[in-house]
Amino acid sequence: MMRTAICRIALVLAITAVLPFGASFAVCDQTSVSQADSDLWALHGCWQDFFLWQYQEYNFSSDNWGNRGWNDACNDNFEYPKAWNAAFLTTYGLLDNNDQSFHGTTDYRQLAEAPDSNFKDSVYYDATDATDIFGSFTYHWPGDDEITLSCNLFNANVLNANPASRSGDSMHEGWHGWLTEGNWDNGSAGGHRPCTKHPDGTCTNGACTVNGCDYFYFHGIGAYAFGALWQTDGTANRFHSPNQVQVEYLCDVSDQPQPWVPASVRQVAAADAAQRSAQRFINGPGYTCGSPRPWN
Amino acid sequence: MNRLKCLAFGIVAGGLVALSSSAIIAQQTPKTNPPKLRISGPAPGSAPQLSDPKHPASETVPAFIEWASRSGIKQRDEVRRMIGTARNDSAVARELCREVSAREKTDLSRTLVSLSILGELRNSEGEKCLTAFLRQPFPKGGTVANGEIVEQTSLGVLQAKAVDGLAFAHTETGDREVLQAAGAHPSRIVRAEAINAYLWNHHDSKAARETLLKIVRPDERSFLDRPRLEPGISREEFNRRLAVYAKLHLAPRPVKHAPGKLTVAQSVSDGIAPKPSPTPSPAPPQAKKGDR
Repeated sequence: MMRTAICRIALVLAITAVLPFGASFAVCDQTSVSQADSDLWALHGCWQDFFLWQYQEYNFSSDNWGNRGWNDACNDNFEYPKAWNAAFLTTYGLLDNNDQSFHGTTDYRQLAEAPDSNFKDSVYYDATDATDIFGSFTYHWPGDDEITLSCNLFNANVLNANPASRSGDSMHEGWHGWLTEGNWDNGSAGGHRPCTKHPDGTCTNGACTVNGCDYFYFHGIGAYAFGALWQTDGTANRFHSPNQVQVEYLCDVSDQPQPWVPASVRQVAAADAAQRSAQRFINGPGYTCGSPRPWN
Repeated sequence: MNRLKCLAFGIVAGGLVALSSSAIIAQQTPKTNPPKLRISGPAPGSAPQLSDPKHPASETVPAFIEWASRSGIKQRDEVRRMIGTARNDSAVARELCREVSAREKTDLSRTLVSLSILGELRNSEGEKCLTAFLRQPFPKGGTVANGEIVEQTSLGVLQAKAVDGLAFAHTETGDREVLQAAGAHPSRIVRAEAINAYLWNHHDSKAARETLLKIVRPDERSFLDRPRLEPGISREEFNRRLAVYAKLHLAPRPVKHAPGKLTVAQSVSDGIAPKPSPTPSPAPPQAKKGDR
């Protein structure tokens, strides 16, 4: 971790040296905030003790977030405040209901947070202006692995720019860390299985319709004790894929939240889980969370 | 005998110690504790009227959206009841429709909430709005992120919510739109939700399945069988349904990478692997002089 920090400082110094004075980085849309972000934000009203804990626990640094609200952490138009707003949801927002939740807060926190654990090696978080990804996981040796969050998780005109989808992406990328740690081969399309293009322009792999497919290793409620999500027996009976972990997390936000989690956050979590279940699984679709009643 | 008992006790005690230590491993907790939860913001409070003869819909609707959007899961029935009282107020439906149009390109989560209220309203003008929303042209291209076109997914998710409202309307015209979407909508997200919503609103009846089987794509018939983790279902019942479904949709045994260092491409997931810096190409093969 120390060596990585030194390398990063050196890199920043090197880049600063070659940039003309006054040059600035491109950044995501810093003028908008989604309803779901605002609703959750209103509950904590910018809680300083939390973000002073969060930046350390998630290994955020000014090097990577300096021009994204690092010095304006209570302005939820910026990327960093939106990122810690999502961490707030993961840390406190789940009910942990043994009879209904897929996994518990302890699982999701260890997967998203920076320290090494049974789930993955230690990570750090940065952000990118690229819009051709939602997020990415990059393995580094030596040093911490890297989770990158893109503007698609911050710009309010994109579905995923909300606390549930943003933290759901941390689960997804964190699970790539789990796969890497166990040397599991989840496919050649950015850590997923590729689809095959057809003459009509569609691209499929079984029931999956996007280029980045996973299997759903279905398991019932209660199959994993809270804290045991990392376990596998090496067979399809006890295994997870990144999109599966993401869907399970989104379902838990949607269906088993704390009573104060806003409806906008729950509804967008259910919608993200549903679109992912319908599009991304070779042996899909996955199950649906909640009922299709409009106000759910 | 006593010795045997002692031995048995020892085995049981040893087993319990082993079990408890494995439980500790399984339930390892995060390493540092966050601050104790403090929610400082105001609670949503009492519901504002969605339909109020003393105030125009242009005032009541935005206020209601703000309140409902922040409401918690225990207020779900209260929100539904409040929406129900405005069922016959078409001005409310028109204002919700205007909200949807105004925000659909700028704030997806607010638009989702507005569509949820509009669907729950079951108003005839609201139904017309949901139909028009569902029929709007589907984008053919856009920003590709992690294999999906962002604009398609965003609109697909919103149109799926419009389908929920049309199915909930339980009208002949609403059902017709839902069935049309189940078979022919360009988005798989919308087709999947149309199947789910049609079945749910027809109590998962045999007749509803037969109707759907006539129109859904052959490769999407499995959408009719997927389990639904809905409020009220017991864990045992969900697990039973899921086990039946999973047997029909098996995943293969996971595989490991070949041992050794990960390639550059394997080290990046969901992103683009950095191009390795070009290495000087080795000298081409050549024959020794006089070897021909």
